[in-house]
Amino acid sequence: MSSLATSHDSEGQARTLPGLSRQKQSNRTGSRSARPRPQGSRDNLNGWAFAAPFLAFFLVFLVWPLLYGLYMSMTGKSLTGANDSVIGFANYAEALADADMWHSLGNTLYFTVISTIPLVVVALIMAALVNVGLPAQWLWRLSYFAPYLLASTVVSLFFTWMYNPQLGLINDTLVKIGLPKVAWLNDPGVAMWAIVIATLWWTVGFNFLLYLAAMQNIPAQHYEAASLDGAGAWRQFFSITLPQLAPTTVMIVLLQILASLKIFDQVYQMTAGGPGGATRPVVQYIFETGFTGYRLGYSAAISYIFFGLIVAVSVIQFFITRRRSA
Amino acid sequence: MKQFEFFEGRQLSRRQLLSGTAAVGSVFAAAALAGCGGNASAAAVRDIQFWHLLSGGDGIKMQAMISKANDANPGFKVHPTVLAWGPPYYTKLAMASAGGRPPQLAIMHASRVPGYAPGGLIDPWDLDLLSEFGVTAQNFAPRIWDKSQNNGKVFSIALDSHPFVMFYNRDVAGKAGLLGSNGQLQEAKSPQEFLSMAREMQKVTQAHGLSFGYLGSGSQMWRLFYTLYRQHGADMELTPGKPMVADNEAAVESLEFMASLFDDTIAAQSGDISTGIAEFARGGSGMLFSGVWELPTMKKAGIPVDAATIPTLYGTPAAYADSHSFVLPRQLNVDDAKRRDVYKFVSDILKGSLSWAEAGHIPAYQPVVQSQAYRDLTPQIHYANAADIIAYDPEAWFSGSGSDWQTYFAETVQNVLLGRDKAADGWDAFVRRTNTLLSRPNPV
Repeated sequence: MSSLATSHDSEGQARTLPGLSRQKQSNRTGSRSARPRPQGSRDNLNGWAFAAPFLAFFLVFLVWPLLYGLYMSMTGKSLTGANDSVIGFANYAEALADADMWHSLGNTLYFTVISTIPLVVVALIMAALVNVGLPAQWLWRLSYFAPYLLASTVVSLFFTWMYNPQLGLINDTLVKIGLPKVAWLNDPGVAMWAIVIATLWWTVGFNFLLYLAAMQNIPAQHYEAASLDGAGAWRQFFSITLPQLAPTTVMIVLLQILASLKIFDQVYQMTAGGPGGATRPVVQYIFETGFTGYRLGYSAAISYIFFGLIVAVSVIQFFITRRRSA
Repeated sequence: MKQFEFFEGRQLSRRQLLSGTAAVGSVFAAAALAGCGGNASAAAVRDIQFWHLLSGGDGIKMQAMISKANDANPGFKVHPTVLAWGPPYYTKLAMASAGGRPPQLAIMHASRVPGYAPGGLIDPWDLDLLSEFGVTAQNFAPRIWDKSQNNGKVFSIALDSHPFVMFYNRDVAGKAGLLGSNGQLQEAKSPQEFLSMAREMQKVTQAHGLSFGYLGSGSQMWRLFYTLYRQHGADMELTPGKPMVADNEAAVESLEFMASLFDDTIAAQSGDISTGIAEFARGGSGMLFSGVWELPTMKKAGIPVDAATIPTLYGTPAAYADSHSFVLPRQLNVDDAKRRDVYKFVSDILKGSLSWAEAGHIPAYQPVVQSQAYRDLTPQIHYANAADIIAYDPEAWFSGSGSDWQTYFAETVQNVLLGRDKAADGWDAFVRRTNTLLSRPNPV
């Protein structure tokens, strides 16, 4: 539950994992082929000793909560301690028939769809702009990436002021150029987009960095050869840069989908799920049923349904990346 | 993959790192020593943890009252922890109690007690012990004392009642010719009368007649709605396992009246709480619907502010209100000495609640209300009658100040106020939402 709620943290975690695991794998195979067998058992012991702190954390903070949460989802457990009995799949049955759960899940998916596209495309454009060799590169990198370092509370406050219908900078600007005011966070049709804009400003820097790193790894000879053949800048971009970036794009898209699915912080702080529940993501619904509605068992059941969805996306990611690297 | 450096060549040297660590270490050591000394010299003083959700002007007043009580009682020291109003406060309080590590004392809205008392998250008060410190049932207005009960036991001791009232600008009202012979605003007796008074005030301010920020705030919409609804003489009952009992006609009429306010003449259509308050504070309107806790802000703004209960537009005087109340979060092991201290502290705060009245609230402790010093407070005395007509939220484990239920009200009703939905449709949606909550297993 807690790992779901802190979308920002878990986002970072998810993003560092693929790289780490790959590195670990290569180290292991390397040491196995280099070392003779006899020392194996001591190696094993040493290995376990090194891994023990991580394993202990893994068991205490991931495996145990995961199992306990699963058990909890089968009970009527309440925050007050009442109704502790095991009730089987009743919570799951109730959740599947719960219109509010579906509505919030729908909101989460809607946010994921409409946020992933700009978060990938804008990052690509920003990276391409920086990569063409503007002066003071560090300044561009810093200014594009800096918002990513802010806390979600800061970003939310900042945008709540900007979006204020009466006193906000954005509406003020709209009025000055002769456009009507927009009820950014109070119009059910607009609020989700307002949150997407804030999220884009806040987190696009990370994807931008990934893209920029990938672009700078494309060998210069490719461009050299292309320009000798008479290819212009656009031609080079579409025929060299984009294809070379394909593996990075796949990775960014999938990581972005996972990150967007876990949306919570900005919404909770900017609209609290409103107006009319139009922006309430499923993580907030889990929080509400469990912590303000006291129904821990029921909220655990919803979080496992959501967990299933994330696992499904991760499995798809796994197969796509495997095919790509094969 | 290429390595990135934001600041090229900047690295922490080993020496810098070590000296930095040493500095941090010495700070910790100094703090630890100071801690020892402090504990040793003050071993007899018992520490009382006290959680509350009062911020801004209220928070400053409460801190002053706590300091005064601490000075008067050398045997204990109350340490307040201030948490954010609404769900953040209530979830933390519930979880601390459920986890067995709550503070010895906490403030809760009286309307939230039904969600905490049955599940055993708070302990009942011992009235005998309380009377030892000079606080008894007779010290409270009946309406407020009744609210402190749950299942026949007293679970909360009210510090105040804080109704939703009407502030008005005396200058604007005077120029609009709406002041009575006593210098106070004439009372509107019907919705039409109120609307025309507001229009008169708009002519004076050239902006709006009334300020009422509601966008995005279920609490604000609910406060005004429930005031108007109860003015119909209507009641509302929430019984788990049964559909909600309510007067639909009164509800729809109240919502329609509310929607008629937001025509950008009487009141701004797109106003949230802060813009509503700011507008009234700078003289942009003649009236403001808000909680009494806004009084210090208005006084500080320097406008000629007066206040009254919201006019009785539908025959029965009523004012939405809640009470900040003291509760005893359930301890795993009750420390008798500390609990005694808590009773003493609460009685001291109640007896000194005149300064709480200065923050706008109506003290619950009657000897203070009946004192001349309170009668001299204006405009507080102009809405003191609210204590007799206050309407608390209908009782249920999910209702009350800062509850999700009020958020659901905003979800279903905001579009009515914005003129996008019919009042009846919005109300039906809210009833359906409430019935879903009532049909689910009761978790307390």
